[in-house]
Amino acid sequence: MKIKNIISTLLFSTIFISVFFICIFKTDSEFSLSERRALAQMPELSAESVMSGTFMENFESYTQDQFPLRDIFRSYKAFFVQKILGKYENNGLYYQDGHISKMDDDENPYMTNYAAELFTKIYDTNIKGKNSKVYLSVIPDKNFILSPKNGYPCLDYDEFIKNFKESLPFMEYIEIRDLLSLDDYYKTDSHWRQEKIVDIAKRYLEKMGNSSVGDFEENVLDNPFYGVYAGQYGLKTKPDTIKYLTNDVLKSCTVTYYNDMGKPIENSMYDMEKAYGKDPYELFLSGTQALIEIKNPNAKSHEELVIFRDSFGSSLAPLMAESYSKITLVDIRYIQSSFIANFVDFSNKDILFMYSTALLNNSLSMK
Amino acid sequence: MLFSSLSFLFYFLPALSIVYFISPKPMKNTVLLLFSLCFYGWGEPKYLALMITTVLTGYVGAILIEKFRDKKLSKVFLSLSSVIILSFLLYFKYANFFVENFSRVTGIEVKALNVVLPIGISFYTFQILSYVIDVYRGDVKSQKNPLTLATYVALFPQLIAGPIVRYSDVESSLISRTHSFEKISEGFRRFIVGLSKKIIVANTLGELCEVFYQSQDKSVLFFWLYAIAYMLQIYFDFSGYSDMAIGLGKFFGFDFMENFNYPFISSSITEFWRRWHISLGSWFRDYVYIPMGGSRVGRKKLIINILTIWCLTGFWHGAAWNFVIWGLFFALLLMIEKLWLKEWLKKSPVAGRIYTLFFVIISFVIFSGLSASDIFMKLKGMFAISEIPFISDEFIYYFKSYFAVLLIAVIGATPLFKSFKECLYKKRFTKVIMEFFEIPVLLILLVICVSYLVDGSFNPFLYFRF
Repeated sequence: MKIKNIISTLLFSTIFISVFFICIFKTDSEFSLSERRALAQMPELSAESVMSGTFMENFESYTQDQFPLRDIFRSYKAFFVQKILGKYENNGLYYQDGHISKMDDDENPYMTNYAAELFTKIYDTNIKGKNSKVYLSVIPDKNFILSPKNGYPCLDYDEFIKNFKESLPFMEYIEIRDLLSLDDYYKTDSHWRQEKIVDIAKRYLEKMGNSSVGDFEENVLDNPFYGVYAGQYGLKTKPDTIKYLTNDVLKSCTVTYYNDMGKPIENSMYDMEKAYGKDPYELFLSGTQALIEIKNPNAKSHEELVIFRDSFGSSLAPLMAESYSKITLVDIRYIQSSFIANFVDFSNKDILFMYSTALLNNSLSMK
Repeated sequence: MLFSSLSFLFYFLPALSIVYFISPKPMKNTVLLLFSLCFYGWGEPKYLALMITTVLTGYVGAILIEKFRDKKLSKVFLSLSSVIILSFLLYFKYANFFVENFSRVTGIEVKALNVVLPIGISFYTFQILSYVIDVYRGDVKSQKNPLTLATYVALFPQLIAGPIVRYSDVESSLISRTHSFEKISEGFRRFIVGLSKKIIVANTLGELCEVFYQSQDKSVLFFWLYAIAYMLQIYFDFSGYSDMAIGLGKFFGFDFMENFNYPFISSSITEFWRRWHISLGSWFRDYVYIPMGGSRVGRKKLIINILTIWCLTGFWHGAAWNFVIWGLFFALLLMIEKLWLKEWLKKSPVAGRIYTLFFVIISFVIFSGLSASDIFMKLKGMFAISEIPFISDEFIYYFKSYFAVLLIAVIGATPLFKSFKECLYKKRFTKVIMEFFEIPVLLILLVICVSYLVDGSFNPFLYFRF
C-alpha cells in the first residue's frame, strides 16, 4: 500500500509537472493542417486584458490549441467516444458506408429566411426587369442519402427545398437529388466529386435551355486528399483521390479573378499550386474567390451565365463553361451583394443560384 | 477557472504544487491564499475585492463578538456582521430578481440593475456566516490572523462550488497539517475520479440535454430521456466537482466533508436530502432549522419551519421562481412524509425508492426550467398531455447513441461499483490485482479526460451559477 502511494504520487506529480514545463517551453504552432485552421496564440498580457477577462478567455483557447501532441489526444478522444462508449458520432461527425459525414442541424428558419430574403433583395435590386431567367438549385448534403437508411437524424430535405421554392417563386427550381448517389461525394469531405457530376451540369444546362456538354478527359491529382472531415473526425481514414476534368474547350478558356481591390488577376481553371496546398479541393477555380469570370473564346453562342454559389460551384462551373461565352461566379460570402452591380451586368443572362443546404441553413456569412 | 480545464491541470496546479511544497511550513498558508486569490481572480478579477471585504467583515465581526462575549454587544456584532455579509449576497444575487418582480407586480417601471453574479458568492458567504455564528455560539475561537481566516474562505478547492466547509472542520488543519504520500496519492485518486465523472459522464449527458433542447422531433420518451439525463448530469457534474475539491483538499493536507452519498438509492425524500449536497443541507439544518425549533415542535410550527427552510434552500440555488417552486415542491413532499408517509416508507423500501426517484426526476425538471412555460412544456411532454408521439426516430437514435454513458451513469450513481470493489478487496488475490490495476486505470482515465479537454468538448459547469 505504501509503495503504491509513493508510486502514484511520484507518477502523477511527474506527469503534471512535466507537461507544465513542456507547455511553457514548447514552440507554438501557427496552423493545424488536420483541422485546417489557425491555432490560437499566446494572448497579450496587460492590465486591461486581465481586468476585462479577455486574457483568461483567450488563454483557455491557447492551452487547448497548443497542447503537446494535440492531434494524438484528439484521436484518443474520438476512439474512446466511438469505439468504447459506442456513441454514433464524435463532434457531430459520423462514419458510415466508408464516408465521414457531418450530422445535419434541424432547419433553422431564421437562417433560411435570411437567405431567402437576401436572394429576393438581390433579385429585386439587380435582376428584375432585365430579361434574365433566374434559376435556383439546392445542393443536398450527402446526409440526404446516408442518414435515412442508417437511422441518423437528418434535415427534412423535402420540406427544406419546398420552403425555398415557396419563398422564391420568381426562380425556376432545378431538382438534382435524383441524380446524386453517395459515390458522387468525397468520402472524407463534404463536397461532390467533379468527375461524378457531369450529369448534374447537363441537367442545369438542359433546364436553362442551353446546349449540352461534350466529353471530358479525366486527370488524377497525385496528392492524397484528406477532406475537411478527415481532420475533424479524429480517427485515421484513407484519403480520397481528386480527379479533374479537362478538354480542349476548357483548356482554351480564360479565367479571371478579381481581388479585394477589384484588380483582375489571370489564372487557370485548375490551380495546381493550391492542389498541393492546405486544401487540395481549392484546385477548382482556386477555392474561395469573391468574383470569377470564365471566358470561352470558342463558345457557339453569346449567352452568358451568372452563378451565385458556394464552394460546390467551383467544381461544377468548369463543366458548364463549354456552353456559355462567359460564366461569372459570385460568392456573396466574400463580396457585399449590394456591390455586385458595379462588377456584373445582369441583363439578358441566365442566372443560377446554387447553394448547399449547409450554407443555406447557416447563412449569416452571406452578405 | 475550472478544475476541468487545461489551464488548471497543467499550469495552475503544477505551479502551485511546486511553490507550495518547496515553501517552508509558515509560508504554506500564504502561498495557498495567494494562489487561491489568483484562481478566483482568473474568472472574476473585479469581484476579488468583494470577497476580501466579506472575509474582513467576518474577521472583525468574530473578534468583536468574542471580545464582548456574554454581553448584549456580542449579539449586536453578530447581527451586524451577518447583515453586512448577507447584504452582499442579497444585492449581487437577488437584486435583479427583486427589481424585476417589483416592476411586474406594481407595474412601475424600474430600470434593470443588471448586476452580475460573482462566482461562488453563495458558497463563501455561507462559509463566513457559519464561522461568525460558530464564534458567537462559542463552538470555535475567533481567528486572530486575518491571513489564516482568508485562507479558510478563499481556499481554492472549495471556494466556488463547495463543499461548504465549516471553519471548525478545518481549524486545526489551517494551523498545522501533515502531508504524506498516502494523502497526496488519495488526493490524486479522488481528483481523477471526480474529473472523469465530470468530463466523461456529466459533459456527455449535458450534450444529450442540449440535443434534446434543439430537437424538433420530440416525443414522450425523449422527454423522459431528457429528464433522467439532466438529473444524472447534475449529479455527476456536482458530485464530480466535490470529488475534485475533496481530492485537492487532501493533496494540500485538508480533509473536507463528503458532499454526496449515493442520493438516488434513497427510499424517501428525507433520506435523499441526507445524501444530496450534504454540506448545504447540514448548513441549513444547523444554522436555520434547528434554531427555529426543528422537528420537535407542533404540527403548525413544523409546517412553517419546513416551508421556510425549503423556500430558502430553493432560493439559495438561484434568484428565479423555478428554484423557489423547486424548494417548495420538496417542502410539500417532506411535509407529507413527516406527517403521513413516514411509517409506510420504512415498511416498503422498494416502493419508497421508486417514489423517491420519480419525484426527484420531476424536481429536476422544475430545477432545469428556464421559465414557467418551459417547466409546463416539459411536464406535459413527459405525461403525454401535449400532442406529441410516444416515441420518435430521434429518441431511438440518441438513446442508442448515448446508451453506454447512460448505463455508466445509472450504475455509477449507485453503490454497486463500491460494493463490488469492497468485495474484491476482501480476498487477497483479487486485492493484489485491484492494487496493481488501480494506477494504470487512473492513468488511462486522466489521458481520456485530457483528450476530451484538448478536443475542446462541451464543458459547462452547472453549479457555478449558484
